[in-house]
Amino acid sequence: MSDNRHSTAQPGKEEYEEAVLKDDAEYRQQHETVKRQQAEERERAGEPAEPKVGVYICRCGGNISDVVDVERVAQVVAMVPGVAVAKVHTFMCSDPGQHTISNDILENGLDRVVVASCSPFLHEQTFRGAVSRGNLNPYLYEHVNIREQGSWAHKHDPEGATRLAIQMITGAVGKLRNAQPLELIKLPNHRQALVIGGGIAGMKTAAELAARGIRVLLVESSNRLGGRLNERGRVYPSETMASDLVADLERQVRNNGNIDILLNSKVTVVDGFIGNFRTVIEGLIGPSGGFDKRDALVGAIVMATGYRPYVPRDGEFLYRQDPCVLTTPEFIQMMQNLDAGTGSLQYNRRTIRSVAFLHCVGSRQLDGVNEPQADGTLNKYCSRTCCSTILQQSLALRKRFPQVHVYDFHRDIRTYGRGEEEYYTEASKAGVVFFRYNGEDPLQVERATGASGKQAPSRKEAPITITVKDMLTWGQEIAVPVDMVVLGVGMVPSHIEDLVDSIKLPTGEDHFLQEVHPKLRPVEVAVNGVLIAGTAQGPMNIQETLNAAAAAAVKAAAMFAREMVELNPYVASVDASLCCGEGLCVTQCDYEGALHLVETEIDGQTVQRAEVNAGLCVGCGACVAVCPHRAMELNGWRLDQFEAMVDGLMADTQHADCEPQLVNLG
Amino acid sequence: MTTSANGNNTYRPDAIIVGAGIAGMQSALDLADQGLQVLLVERESSIGGHMIALAKVFPTLDCASCITAPKMSASAHHDNIRIMVNTEVQAIRTVRGTHHVKLLRKATYVNFDKCIGCRLCEYACDSEYPDPFEAGLGARRAIAVPFTNAIPQKAVLNPELCTTCGSCARVCPTDAIEYDQQSEVVEIETDAVVVASGFALNSLNIKPQYNALQSKNIISALTMERLLAPHGPYGRVLRPSDGKIPSSVAFVQCAGSRDVSIGVPYCSRVCCMYAIKQAMLLSGALPIADITIYYMDIRAFGKGYEQFYQNAKAMGINFVRGKVARIDPIEDGDLNLHVETTEDAENILQEHHHDLVVLAQGMVPEWNPSLSTPVAVASDGFVATPMLTAPTSTTANGIFVAGVASGPKDIVDTIAEAGAAAMQVSQYLYQKRAAQEHVAGPVLVG
Ligand SMILES: Cc1cc2nc3c(=O)[nH]c(=O)nc-3n(C[C@H](O)[C@H](O)[C@H](O)COP(=O)(O)OP(=O)(O)OC[C@H]3O[C@@H](n4cnc5c(N)ncnc54)[C@H](O)[C@@H]3O)c2cc1C
Ligand SMILES: Cc1cc2nc3c(=O)[nH]c(=O)nc-3n(C[C@H](O)[C@H](O)[C@H](O)COP(=O)(O)OP(=O)(O)OC[C@H]3O[C@@H](n4cnc5c(N)ncnc54)[C@H](O)[C@@H]3O)c2cc1C
Ligand code: SF4
Ligand code: SF4
Ligand code: SF4
Repeated sequence: MSDNRHSTAQPGKEEYEEAVLKDDAEYRQQHETVKRQQAEERERAGEPAEPKVGVYICRCGGNISDVVDVERVAQVVAMVPGVAVAKVHTFMCSDPGQHTISNDILENGLDRVVVASCSPFLHEQTFRGAVSRGNLNPYLYEHVNIREQGSWAHKHDPEGATRLAIQMITGAVGKLRNAQPLELIKLPNHRQALVIGGGIAGMKTAAELAARGIRVLLVESSNRLGGRLNERGRVYPSETMASDLVADLERQVRNNGNIDILLNSKVTVVDGFIGNFRTVIEGLIGPSGGFDKRDALVGAIVMATGYRPYVPRDGEFLYRQDPCVLTTPEFIQMMQNLDAGTGSLQYNRRTIRSVAFLHCVGSRQLDGVNEPQADGTLNKYCSRTCCSTILQQSLALRKRFPQVHVYDFHRDIRTYGRGEEEYYTEASKAGVVFFRYNGEDPLQVERATGASGKQAPSRKEAPITITVKDMLTWGQEIAVPVDMVVLGVGMVPSHIEDLVDSIKLPTGEDHFLQEVHPKLRPVEVAVNGVLIAGTAQGPMNIQETLNAAAAAAVKAAAMFAREMVELNPYVASVDASLCCGEGLCVTQCDYEGALHLVETEIDGQTVQRAEVNAGLCVGCGACVAVCPHRAMELNGWRLDQFEAMVDGLMADTQHADCEPQLVNLG
Repeated sequence: MTTSANGNNTYRPDAIIVGAGIAGMQSALDLADQGLQVLLVERESSIGGHMIALAKVFPTLDCASCITAPKMSASAHHDNIRIMVNTEVQAIRTVRGTHHVKLLRKATYVNFDKCIGCRLCEYACDSEYPDPFEAGLGARRAIAVPFTNAIPQKAVLNPELCTTCGSCARVCPTDAIEYDQQSEVVEIETDAVVVASGFALNSLNIKPQYNALQSKNIISALTMERLLAPHGPYGRVLRPSDGKIPSSVAFVQCAGSRDVSIGVPYCSRVCCMYAIKQAMLLSGALPIADITIYYMDIRAFGKGYEQFYQNAKAMGINFVRGKVARIDPIEDGDLNLHVETTEDAENILQEHHHDLVVLAQGMVPEWNPSLSTPVAVASDGFVATPMLTAPTSTTANGIFVAGVASGPKDIVDTIAEAGAAAMQVSQYLYQKRAAQEHVAGPVLVG
């Protein structure tokens, strides 16, 4: 991204402070004037001078009320000037709870609402909805978190938590007194989706959206669609050929008038916001290998960038030290490449008479037991698909080569899915021998030393020995000689660090893309308009991947069902009559394109004034803090609101049975 | 929008959803958000399914109500969703692409258009029975609003317990009570159906060797959810037989799953995780109690689940790998567990004493659509789907499936699948209408 932030010279520190001091006095005067004007306006409009605030306090079924004395909170805040009703409810978010709000607005003429409950992250939207249903502007609402920030954080200090709740609510009431109705910002919606990654997740998302009449750009970095399934043979639980599944989806996305497929391509630039992402895609085109760069304006981005199989370190379980230590994907390829009809299993000039499958390689790693990755982190998670893959493969191996002994080393067998437990049962019946160990006592894979002691084993002896403390035989130490080891590797995310950086995508402790909430917003990330599909989010099997992909598609479809994109109104706004066009604010703004100077005509003179791009402004307030003329304000967080809020927060709740001594509440 | 019983023939929703658990609600919301008209049908008196009765939910330990109630509320307030409770989908007949859905609208003996949910009737009623919402532990009056955050907030009368004493009708401020109301069967046409009929747990007594009928202290995991719920029947965890605070709780895993002999060879997929969750919540509620989980494999496979399991171990919950062969009730309502383990050579057959036992029953389908609809079920009894190509399709064109109706699933996987089913419905309708009205162009936005 280009940087225009430093193009304007920074004014000197002194100049700056002077300006602030001077303007602070000016500002206070203005503020008073504005307040007076507002009061007058109210009067003219026939509105009551004093706002009527409704305060609702949630018990959260005990989550809050077991610690916070909610009844007392209600009693005290009821005395705060402006508060018309203060009520307690067991579950504010339930229908009856919400109904109380809309009802009170309609029947008691409330014109401001505060709910004190859980984190705004969960229910701010819920209550704004309830306020709207009472025909009140939803931004005349404040959310106070007395659960995560109150009862849960101060479990052992009920008195303190109660007082804190009172103070926070009083602050919110203060802030609301000066609140103004706001409207959602409506911006054009470019009804085209960019799907990044052409595995089954990306293809499924594209196919679903296209069938719904929505245009899709499908960008794949490799030279073919299908992703990791191109490297698999038959897949569980239906034993379908992976290539058939890929072909089936490919048929749906190829020659589809609504889908543009770009292979060998990468998304190199992502700018903008929901409904209006400006992107640049670069890649090879055509058989001649020409290089192409194209711009695309899209409304939504779907991350379907998938996973990589974990690659063991050199020497981890003899990987890359013994030629017959393979990962599951390598083993699957080997089995696929075998000539039909071979009677015995030969690999790397070794006759394979016994094979060990190791579960959880690169997954379920424990502190102090497993060696961390290069970046110092452990893969603590379960990769979800490796157990079933191993059992499927070991069963296939026993069936194809009944003379080969197959051993399975696991901590738990996680064949949880529909049709997966059968592989476990069948593998046991087919003679696969199971060993179970505790994660804290990891097994050892070593070169066998041979019966005679130090030197290498003879041709008849197996070259690898696995030692395990087996919990199926009462913790006995068992040494199992084998010819081949298959490492059941887990999943790690694809290398998408560049996209994570440029789109500012959140990732979890496991490095996979992080959804906003696994149950409330499972396919959305914190960046509006960006969705996740498939294993880019975490390990999944094919069925789960397809479901996740279609779930991402449905969110995109719902987004595109609207003519315009609607954004929260908490953005900066400029009072052009106060702005001097110096551009201090522009130099402070971190968000490309959010704030810039434009030329306008005032009294016949061409002057510069700051202008906000509401789509790109994130409402951080950096500009407000530096403007010496107080020309910048943040909608919903105006400075006079802050002042009133701080006054409210400072209300003294220590004395007089908690009757708040309100300081300067206007 | 809650609708009362009326045989309005002109009402023809774009899609009908069978079951208003988390799967049905999510599908309904994802369809309605695209501008489609949805009818959400629920057999019980409130929407919400099993999830609204849970305490907290893994892996985030959010209170279940805090996630479910807003989805219930959003469904109820959505302009494009109509809800019918106390209504059972009985059959579906498909004629030239139109599904005729036969609904049994059960009499509630309360006129929903009039009832304001004031509960005066409930307070006036003298007849009580074990509250099904509280797993039978609390009491419910013969006429009652089903539970605190039920949707809709309407009283329903249970005719089996009503003595027709007339108390409720006398106190009702809106004259909503209609003792002579009749159940009725209505048929509604639609283009698409989502089967989201969820699950039931198999019998607590499916393994007779566990003697569940002999002791009140051998309980279902759903009962434990209610005991742990912040607003549950006792407000705290007490054992059912005598109200004692339990000091040693056992969880017996796979107690109705992974066993061919009981007809449930498959894994129920959620019980490992909910046992760990309940154990964690218990150790918070009863800090001095011993908590042991007897298991075969711990299946903590989802995002963040393994870490959840490791946390539980670090909290001191005992995990014992072994098969519980028998449970014997002993003195004082306590229980003796005979456990076969492979972990300790000295002690293969162990006996363990506990005062409360939770059985992880298996999940079985709640409804068998193959008996009265074109939808086929697989050998496990759940709806058959082409799993690796279209996991939410069924054998019937225009009928889709979501949630546990197509096999055990946790909430996270259920929600994803419900979204997927909604996507399939909307593109199915789009295609269908584009084909029908190709001159006028498709009628859906998008
Ligand atoms: C050994 C093994 C065996 C398995 N066997 C089975 C089985 O039998 N049954 C089953 O149900 N599941 C199985 N799975 C799981 C299955 O592989 C996954 O569920 C599935 O492949 C996930 O698909 P996806 O589209 O999410 O990811 P992927 O298949 O990884 O596709 C992602 C695509 O995105 C592309 N991409 C990545 N980054 C970018 C970028 N920056 N720009 C553009 N494109 C990009 C990649 O090139 C790739 O084509 C197995 C997994 C493993 C590891
Ligand atoms: C004890 C226990 C604890 C659990 N804890 C967790 C947890 O912590 N986290 C987690 O992720 N998962 C948990 N689960 C799993 C979770 O309950 C399920 O994933 C989820 O409830 C499935 O939702 P559903 O909508 O598919 O089914 P259901 O909740 O069963 O909903 C189906 C609905 O359909 C209705 N219905 C059925 N047939 C008809 C018909 N013919 N006509 C009309 N209506 C009909 C039913 O009345 C019901 O309301 C737990 C499960 C149990 C048993
Ligand atoms: S799926 Fe099985 S092998 Fe894979 S990480 Fe989980 S427990 Fe280990
Ligand atoms: S008394 Fe009447 S209005 Fe009140 S809940 Fe009962 S039926 Fe409804
Ligand atoms: S989830 Fe766990 S307890 Fe439930 S059936 Fe599967 S393995 Fe058994």
